[in-house]
Amino acid sequence: MLDLYLFQLLNGLGLGMIYFLIAVGLTIIFGLLNFVNFAHGAFFLLGAYLCYTAVAITGNFWLALLIAPLAVAALAWAVERLLIKRIYHLPHTFQILVTLGIALIIQEASVLIWGPVGKNIAVPPELRGVLILGDFIYPYYRLFLIGFAALIGLGLWLLLERTRFGALVRAGSESTETVSLLGTNIFRLFSLTFALGVGLAGVAGVLFAPLRGAQPFVGPEILGIAFVVVVIGGMGSFGGALVGGLLVGVVQSMMSSLWPQGASLMIYGAMAAVILVRPYGLFGRA
Amino acid sequence: MSNKTALPMGLGRTPALLLLVLASLVALPLILPSATLATEILIFALAALACNLLLGYTGLLSFGQGIFFGVGAYGAALLMIHLKWGMLGALFGAAVFGAFLALLVGALAIRRTGIYFVMLTLAFSQMAYFLAYTLSGWTGGDNGLLDVPRPNIEIAGHVLVDLADPRHFYVFVAVLFLLIFAGALRVIRSPFGSTLLAIRENETRAAAIGYDTRHFKILVFMLSGAITGIAGALYAMLLHFAPLSNIDLMMSENILIMTIVGGTGSLFGSLLGAGAIVVLGDVLSELWPRWLMLLGAILILVVVFMRGGLWGGLAALGKRLLASRTADDKAPAKTKETL
Repeated sequence: MLDLYLFQLLNGLGLGMIYFLIAVGLTIIFGLLNFVNFAHGAFFLLGAYLCYTAVAITGNFWLALLIAPLAVAALAWAVERLLIKRIYHLPHTFQILVTLGIALIIQEASVLIWGPVGKNIAVPPELRGVLILGDFIYPYYRLFLIGFAALIGLGLWLLLERTRFGALVRAGSESTETVSLLGTNIFRLFSLTFALGVGLAGVAGVLFAPLRGAQPFVGPEILGIAFVVVVIGGMGSFGGALVGGLLVGVVQSMMSSLWPQGASLMIYGAMAAVILVRPYGLFGRA
Repeated sequence: MSNKTALPMGLGRTPALLLLVLASLVALPLILPSATLATEILIFALAALACNLLLGYTGLLSFGQGIFFGVGAYGAALLMIHLKWGMLGALFGAAVFGAFLALLVGALAIRRTGIYFVMLTLAFSQMAYFLAYTLSGWTGGDNGLLDVPRPNIEIAGHVLVDLADPRHFYVFVAVLFLLIFAGALRVIRSPFGSTLLAIRENETRAAAIGYDTRHFKILVFMLSGAITGIAGALYAMLLHFAPLSNIDLMMSENILIMTIVGGTGSLFGSLLGAGAIVVLGDVLSELWPRWLMLLGAILILVVVFMRGGLWGGLAALGKRLLASRTADDKAPAKTKETL
C-alpha cells in the first residue's frame, strides 16, 4: 500500500514537472509582455503532435525532443512578429482574445492534419524498462521525465539569472520603457521571450506525449491547469510555478488512486482553497 | 462617455432601440428557414447580452459564462423532470441557479482583478465541467441529460400557450428576449449602470470616489449569471436535451466570441453577433466540421480591424449615410466634400 503511494507520489512529481514547464513559460511571457497567452495549451498540443510526426519520420524520439520544441518556438516567433506585435498598444483584453483565436486555429488545424483521434507515441527503446528496488517497481521513462524537466528548469533558471538575455527579461518585467530607453531593441526581446515561453510548452508537450499520447482537444484542459498553477504559485514567480506545478501534479496523481473521477476536480478545489486563504497565491506579490 | 454611446438615427434613445429589436424579432423567422434556428439565435443572443453586461459595460472578461449556461440547463431540466415544475417556474429556477453560481464564482474570482480574474473564471469553468462530468447521476455525464420536457404555459390545468409547436416557442422566447433586453437597457441607463461604466473606465477612480466596486461587480455578475441561466434553460427545452457541452469551456468561448463579433458595449450588437455566429455555424458545421478554425480567424480579424464589431461597423456606416443626407438637405453644395 505504501508502495502505491510512493508510486503515485513519483508520478505526481513527473506530472508536476510538466505542469511547471508549461506554467513557467506562461509566467515569463506574462512578466515581460504583460498579457496571458491563451494559446499556450494549443502550443503544448502542437508540441505533442510534432513529436509524433518527427518520431514517425526519423524513428528517433531524441531527435523529436530537439526538433518539435524548436519548431513550436519558431512558429510562436512568427506569430508574434506577424500578429501579436500589432496589438501591443491595445488593452490586455484584446491580446487575450487574439491568442484565443490563435488557439482555436491551432487546435482545429491539428485535427485537420492529424485527425480527430489521438495518436500514440512510443516510449523510446532506451527507457522502456522498469526500475526494480526490492518490492518497488517504477518505469524508467517517468524517472527520466522528472530528471530531464529538472534539467530544463535549471537551465532556464541559469538563463534568466546568469545571462545578459535573462537580465534584460527581468529588467523588462520591471519596466519595459526603461529597458527600451537604455538602447535595447525591446521588440526583439519580446519575440524571443514569447518564443522561449511557448517553446517550453512545446517541450512539455513532447515529454507528455509518451505518457498520454497526443490528444486533439487537450489544449483547454492544459491551459486550465496552467492557470491553476500560476494562481496557486503567483504569476511572475519562477519558484511559484515550480511549487504550484508540483503541488497540482501530486494532488492530481494521489487523487487518481483515491477517487479517479474526481482527480481533475480536486486540483480546482485546491486552487479555490488557496485563493480563499491567500488571494495572491502562495508566492505572489500584491 | 456620452460621445461613446451617442448613436446615429436616434438609436441611442430607448424607444427607437426597442423598436429596432422588435422589428428584428419579427423579421428573424421570416428570413430564416426554420423557427428553431431563429429561437437558437435568440437564446444565444440572451447569453451574449449577459456577457456584454460584464465585458462591455463593466470591463470584466469572463470565461465562465458556460458555467451559468450549463447550470441553467441542468437546473431547469432537473426541476421539470423530478419536481414537475412548469415552464415559468423552471425558468425562474434557472435564473436563481445562475445567479447563485455567479455569486459563488464571483465571490472568489472578484477577489482578484485584471488578468487573475480572467484566469480564475477559466479555471472555474473547467471545474464546473469536471463537476458536471463527475455528478453523472444528476447530469447524465458524457451522455447528457435526456428527455428534457418543454412544458406548456398553463393556468389551473388550462393550456394557455402550447409550446410544442416550434413557432409558438419562438414567439415565447422572443417575448422573453424583448422583456430581458428592455430590462438590461434600463439597468445600464440607471445610476447603477453609470457606476459600472465608471468601473470599466477606471476602477481605482471609482473606488476612490467611494463606490464599493467589488459589491457592484458581484451584483452585475449575478445579473449576468441569471440571464445566462435562463438562456441555458431555454436551450435545453429547445433541444429536449442538456448535453455536457453546455457547460464546457467552448460554450464560454462561443458566447464571448458572439459578444465581441456583435460589438462590445452594445446590447443590440449581441443579437447581431449571436445571429451571425449561429447562422454561420448552422451553414458551415455540415459542410466543414473544422469551421471553428474560421471562428478563430474571425475573432482575430474583428479584434485587429473592427473592434466595434458588427454594430460598430453598422453604426459607422449609418453615421456616414446620415451625415451625407443631412448635408444634402441643408447644404447640397457640401455633399461632394463630405463624400
